[in-house]
Amino acid sequence: MDNLLVYSLIGLGFGVFLFFRAFGWLKSKRLIENIPTSKIRSIAMGLVEVYGKVVPFRGEVLKSPFTVRDCVYSRFSIEEYRSSGKHSRWVTVRKGVDFIPFYIEDETGSVLVDPKGAGVEILRDNEFKSGFMKDPPEDVKRFLRRSGMDFEGFFSVNKTMRYRESFIEPGDMLYVMGTAGDNPFVEEGTVEGGAQDIMIGRGKERFFYISDRPEKRVLGLLRWKVIGGFFGGGLLILLCLWLVLFYSHFWSFAKF
Amino acid sequence: MDTGIIVLVVAILIAICFAGYLIIIFNGLIRLKNNIEKSWANIDVLLKQRTDEIPRLVECVKGYMKHEREVLQRVTEARTAFLNARTMREKAGSSEMIGGALKTLFAVAENYPNLKANENFMQLQKRISGLESEIADRREFFNDSVNNYNIRRESFPDLLIAGIMRYGRRDLFEVSEADRATVNVSF
Repeated sequence: MDNLLVYSLIGLGFGVFLFFRAFGWLKSKRLIENIPTSKIRSIAMGLVEVYGKVVPFRGEVLKSPFTVRDCVYSRFSIEEYRSSGKHSRWVTVRKGVDFIPFYIEDETGSVLVDPKGAGVEILRDNEFKSGFMKDPPEDVKRFLRRSGMDFEGFFSVNKTMRYRESFIEPGDMLYVMGTAGDNPFVEEGTVEGGAQDIMIGRGKERFFYISDRPEKRVLGLLRWKVIGGFFGGGLLILLCLWLVLFYSHFWSFAKF
Repeated sequence: MDTGIIVLVVAILIAICFAGYLIIIFNGLIRLKNNIEKSWANIDVLLKQRTDEIPRLVECVKGYMKHEREVLQRVTEARTAFLNARTMREKAGSSEMIGGALKTLFAVAENYPNLKANENFMQLQKRISGLESEIADRREFFNDSVNNYNIRRESFPDLLIAGIMRYGRRDLFEVSEADRATVNVSF
C-alpha cells in the first residue's frame, strides 16, 4: 500500500509537469506556425525558419559513433538492462552528443548553422542489441573498446544491452528555426553580404530547433504533444489525486 | 469531501488552461503584428539600397544613351517618388515604378554593345538584379507574414482577442500586372 502512495505522488508530480510542459509545446507550435519559411538568399537578422539540404562547412565531417558514417551531428546512448528483485529496467550507462557547424542549402543559397544549444529532434538511425549468446556488431565492439567499456559481465556472459545512434548526414533535408546573427567565421567586409554574412544559432530569442522532418510533420508532432500534455497530464493528475485521497482515507480508517 | 477536492482541482486546471491559452494567443498576435513591421523594414532596407544605386547607374549610362532621355527621366522620377514616399503603400507603389523603369533601362541597354561591355555597368546591373531577387523573396515573406496574421485574427478564438486589441486587417504587398509583364522595347 505504501508503494501505491509513492507511485501516486510520483504520478501526480509527473502529471503536473506534463500539464505545464504542454504550454511550452503549444507556444512552440504557434511560433513555428507564425513564422514563414525564408529563402536563404534573402534571410534577415532575427528569428528565422529555413528548410534545406545539409552541406559540410569547409568540407569537415564527423564520424557517427557506431557505424562510422560521415555526419555533422551525432548522438548515441548505451543502455543496460538491470534487474533488482521484482523490478527490472533499462539504465543509461553512457550517452554523448557531437556536432560541428554546417551549411543548410536551398535553391537560392546556403547559410551556416551552429547547432550548439539547439533542441534537435531527429529519427533514430540505428539500434543494436547484445545479450545472452548474442554479441554486438563489430562496429559497436570497436566503439566499446575505444571507450573502455565492456559488453560482457561475470564469467564472460554477455550483458543485455542496447546501443542507439542518430545522426545528421550531408545531404539530409533539415528544418531549422533559430536566430540569424553575424557569422563569426567571416571577417567584416570580406563578403558581398547576403547569407554569407549570417550564421543561424541560439540567439536572444532562445528558440532554436532542428528537425529532420518537414514543417508540417514538425507541427503534427507538436500538436500531439500538446494534446497529450493537456489531456494526459490532466487525467494523470486527477487519477493520482484520487489514489492519494483514497489512500489517506484508507490509512485513517485503518488507524481508527 | 473527496469529490469536492476533485471538482476543485478540475476547475483549477480548466482555469489555468484558459488563462494560459489567452496569454499565448495575446503574445502570438503581438508577435505576428511585429513580424509584419519587421518584414516590411527588411524590404525597406533593400529598396533604399536599390534606390541608392540609381544615381550611379544613371551616371554610368547617360554617356552612352544620349537618345534615351525619356527612359533615364522615368528612372529618376521613380527614384524621386520613392524618396518622397512616407507610407508603406506609397513606398510600395513607387518601388514598383522603380522596378518597371529599371527593367526598361536594362532592356534598352541591350541595344548599346559598348555599354553592355562596360565593367562598371555590368557590376551595377548584377548588383541591382541581385537586389531585385532579394526584394522579391522578402516581398513573398512579407505577404506570408501578413497572410498568417490575417488568418489568425479572423480565426476563433483569436478573433476575440484581436477585436479587443483593435487589430485590423493588413494589406498584402501586391505586384501590379504592368510590373509583372515583360518589358517590350521597340527601336
